[in-house]
Amino acid sequence: MNLPGWRALEKFLFPIQSNSWLALLRVGLGLEVLFYTISARPDWMELFGSGGRALVNRQIAEGVLNIESVAVPRMGWLIALGHSVGVDELYVLWGVWALLLGAALLLVIGLFSRPCAILVWLLHLCAVKSEDLLTYGVDNFTTIGLFYLMLCPLPDAWSLDARWRRRSSRYSDLNGFFRRLLQVHVCFIYFLSGLTKFMGAEWWNGKSLWRALTLPPYNLLSPEWVVHWRYFLPLAGISIAALETVYPFLVWPKRSRRAVLACVVAMHLGIGLTMGLYLFSLIMIVLDLAAFGPASAVSSDTEVFAERSE
Amino acid sequence: MGLVLTEEKTILPVAANRGIESSGTALAWVLGESLPNGHWYREAVALYTNSSGTDTGYGFFAPSVASTHKLAFEIQYADGRREYDVPAVGGSATGLRLTLLFDNIARARYPLLRETMLRLMAYAVWREHPQAEVIRAVFGTVNFPSATEFARGEKPSYDVLFAYDFKFRPAPDSP
Repeated sequence: MNLPGWRALEKFLFPIQSNSWLALLRVGLGLEVLFYTISARPDWMELFGSGGRALVNRQIAEGVLNIESVAVPRMGWLIALGHSVGVDELYVLWGVWALLLGAALLLVIGLFSRPCAILVWLLHLCAVKSEDLLTYGVDNFTTIGLFYLMLCPLPDAWSLDARWRRRSSRYSDLNGFFRRLLQVHVCFIYFLSGLTKFMGAEWWNGKSLWRALTLPPYNLLSPEWVVHWRYFLPLAGISIAALETVYPFLVWPKRSRRAVLACVVAMHLGIGLTMGLYLFSLIMIVLDLAAFGPASAVSSDTEVFAERSE
Repeated sequence: MGLVLTEEKTILPVAANRGIESSGTALAWVLGESLPNGHWYREAVALYTNSSGTDTGYGFFAPSVASTHKLAFEIQYADGRREYDVPAVGGSATGLRLTLLFDNIARARYPLLRETMLRLMAYAVWREHPQAEVIRAVFGTVNFPSATEFARGEKPSYDVLFAYDFKFRPAPDSP
C-alpha cells in the first residue's frame, strides 16, 4: 500500500532497534520473579495449598476464575497432572516453586532464554490466577512483562545464549515492533492511572496521599512525621496524578524523555521506600526503562526506520 | 473503569454516569461478557486478557485510596474461656497480600462467598485450637483520621462490619 498514513504507521510500528532494551526486560523480569518466589517461600503452602493449611483454599479463587473462563492456566491443573502420575499436592507445589526459582535464575543470566521465558510466564500465571484473591498491581504488571518477553525475539545480544552458546534470533528485525507495543502499553497504563486519580476528589486535597502513606500495611513512615508535611500533600498528590497523565505526551519527545523517566523512576523509588511496595516499584522501573530507557542512551534509532517492501 | 467511576466518589458530575455506563456496556459487549459461560468467543477473549495481564484496569489507588480492613478471631471454649487470634503469615510480602484478601472479603458481592472465605480462615484457627467450641470471626474496617484530625490528636477507630460464629467437629475417624 502506498497511502502516506499507512507508510507512517509502518515506520512507527517497525523501527530498527538494538535489543539492549530486551536484555533489560529479561534481566529485570527474571529478578522480579526471583524476588517474588523467594518472598513467597515462607507462605507458599498457605497461598496455594488446599485444606486446612491454606490461607484461603486455592479452589475458591479457581472456582471464581471458572466463572470467567475455564481455559485460563492455574495451579489446579499442575496439581491434577501430578495426581495423575501419583505425585502428592505438596510435592507438586514445591516442585513448581523450585522450577519457578530455577527458570527465573536462568532468565537473569540468559541461558535457554526462550524456553525459560515461556516457563516463567506459565508458572507465574498459574500462581497469580490461583491466588487471585490476594493479587495486586505487581502481579498484573509482571504478567504483562512476561507476556511480551515470551513473544519477543530472544535471545538478546547480552544473554549467555548469544555470548556462550552463539545463538541468535531469526526474527531480530521485530525488536522494534515489540518495543513499540510495550511503549504504547506503558503509556496507556500511566495515562489511565493518572486520569482516574484526577477524577477522585481526594487526590486533589491530599487525603488520598495521606491515606496511602499512613494506612496499614503501607505505613512505613510514622504518621507523626507525615502530618508535619500535611500542607504539602495536596501538591504532591496533584503532581503524582499529573506526572502519570502527561507521561504519554512527554516521554516520546527526546527533549523531555529523560526528565520524565527520571521523575517516574524517582516516584517509584519513593513508593518502594515509603510504602514498602518493593516488588511493585521494581517491576514499574523495569517496564519504564525497557520501554523508554536504553534507546535514548544507546542510539538515535527511533529516527531510523526499517524499509519494508510493499 | 466505568464501574469505578460510577460507584465511587469522583469529581465527575452525576450526569456523566450515563455516558460512562454506556461505554462500560459497549466494552462488556466487545469482551463477550454478555455471552453465556463457555461460549468460544468469551473463552478466547478471557484467555487472552488473563494471559497477557490485561484483564484488570490500571486505576491503582484511584479514584481514592480505600479503607483498610481487619480480621480477628475470638476462640470460645465450653468452660467460658475466650482467647483471641489474628491471621498470621510467615513473610511481610504475604502480609501485604493478606490486606488485599481482606479488601476482597469486604467487597464480596455474594454473602455466601464471603462466609466461605471466613469459614476457611476460621478452620485454620480451629485446627490449632481443636478444643474450641466456637470460632467467632469479626471483620471490620479501620477508620484512620484525616491529617487535620490526626494533628488535633484524634486516633484511629474500628467499626465492625460483620461477625460469624463457626462450629467445627473433628472427623469421626480422627483420634
